[in-house]
Amino acid sequence: MKKDNIVIEINNLKKYYGKIRGVEDVSLKINSGEVYGFIGPNGAGKSTTIRILMGLINKTGGEVFLNGKELDINDVFIKKEIGYLPSEVNLYDDLTVKEILDYHESFYDKNINKRRKELVKLFLLDESKKIEDLSLGNSKKLGIVLALMHSPKILILDEATSGLDPIMQNTFFDLLLEEKKKGTTILYSTHVLSEISKICDRVGFIKEGKIIKEDSVSNLEKENITYLTISSSEISKIKNELDLKIILEEENKIKFINNLSPDILIKKLSKYKIDKLLVEEISIEDLFIEYYK
Amino acid sequence: MLKRELKVNLKSFIIWTSILLGMFLIVYLMYPAIINSGSIDAMDEMMNMFPDEMLKAFNMDISSMDSAYGWLKTEGFVFVYLIVGVYASIMGSNILLKEESEKTIEYLNSLPVKRRDILKSKVICSIIYIILMIILMGIFNYIGLELSGDFDRLQFLLLSITPLFISLPLFGINLFISTFFKKTKKTFGIALGIAFLSYFLQILSEMSEEVEFLKYFTVYTLGDLRNVIVDISINPLFILISFILTILFIGLSFIKYERKELV
Repeated sequence: MKKDNIVIEINNLKKYYGKIRGVEDVSLKINSGEVYGFIGPNGAGKSTTIRILMGLINKTGGEVFLNGKELDINDVFIKKEIGYLPSEVNLYDDLTVKEILDYHESFYDKNINKRRKELVKLFLLDESKKIEDLSLGNSKKLGIVLALMHSPKILILDEATSGLDPIMQNTFFDLLLEEKKKGTTILYSTHVLSEISKICDRVGFIKEGKIIKEDSVSNLEKENITYLTISSSEISKIKNELDLKIILEEENKIKFINNLSPDILIKKLSKYKIDKLLVEEISIEDLFIEYYK
Repeated sequence: MLKRELKVNLKSFIIWTSILLGMFLIVYLMYPAIINSGSIDAMDEMMNMFPDEMLKAFNMDISSMDSAYGWLKTEGFVFVYLIVGVYASIMGSNILLKEESEKTIEYLNSLPVKRRDILKSKVICSIIYIILMIILMGIFNYIGLELSGDFDRLQFLLLSITPLFISLPLFGINLFISTFFKKTKKTFGIALGIAFLSYFLQILSEMSEEVEFLKYFTVYTLGDLRNVIVDISINPLFILISFILTILFIGLSFIKYERKELV
């Protein structure tokens, strides 16, 4: 199989902590320059997958490839190309912001000082502050600067916006779009769905350690799923005719998820007397809720 | 990385070294007064009341406390062994595991470094500080003894080196144990336990022939203080065992750490 264009490839990844499941079966491929949204509720296995990818924990089974090479936790060359933002940023409390940025710089052969200055300015970081005195939001901002300052070709971001105020979130999304333009490959893990349509090309939904759906954001947005609310005296007959996933049921009124195409739906409903019909577009947020019900 | 390790661990090094040197300073300041006041005779008389086993445990049967150097050979070095041993044990249990305990490993691991390089910088830093503590103690005592009176310089030099043969294996053992844990809270107690237990086993083994076998279960035997005082030589076998134990446990730590789950 030609893997030239695939930057991150995970096949049948499995991780168990003793008898406890971390991930059961995760497979995904992320192409060069693609932004992949990794979505799932807490405990679904997002962080476990990312931690295996970062070499922090060992997999129980499956394969992981980075740039076509099997994952090697000691491959310093590939590590130089990765920028990682963990969900919780824990840095050395005894250092100041300036000192940790200097420390970070010392690990890279190339000159990354210019990018560092740009990012510090963008995120309004005070370099003289001690890390132990930083607020949650400022720690996150520092984490972002550290993940990006060496201009990595692969970005792995875990719950990146938690703790950031709305203004900084926008700054961050603009920055990611800029990175996307440059061709950076991004794995973006989150449970905040509104973020997905802003930056991601493709999305993988993970539930109980398994990828349950994977598609492009444009396809998901185009998907023929709507919410339909019908008021009718013949509601019981309609319920029998259509195989419905009902969300709300009142007397002579139902709300359900509709995945029939409009023409088929009209044909089926034309047999009944309909008092009121409301069609609502389903958002990615709603889709998410549906997948995880 | 090494530079950062040295900086981070400097504070605890200064504290531990100050405790050690502070204790000696007090002795050097007090001893002239004790000797001149005639209290030494009273002390010797008191010592005679102690059982032989007790005197042997503190090397008081082969050395007298009638001078600062005499004190150093008896009680002094017993404390040195304990303090340097505890320091080395805590370094071993803490220096690597701290990154996981404080969750900074997630950042450190994301940097372009190999796991063995992370461990290497921590091992080198610890060994530097352990050796430096022993050297500083040696220099300090040398100056103190020069000012206090005459002493056997070769014997003193050999005595000053011996803590190294205890502290390095203690560091290695505790480093290896720490690779099985995720939090320093648990290993701190274990480190102190190992240091103190080894120390008391050695004292007990000196007290009676019936429990002499205990010397095989403690690294403090490798200090071989009695032999150095009596024969003015260090048993090369003990040096060899000390280095083998150190290399073995540090080597095992490298193997274990390479596959360790860090979060």
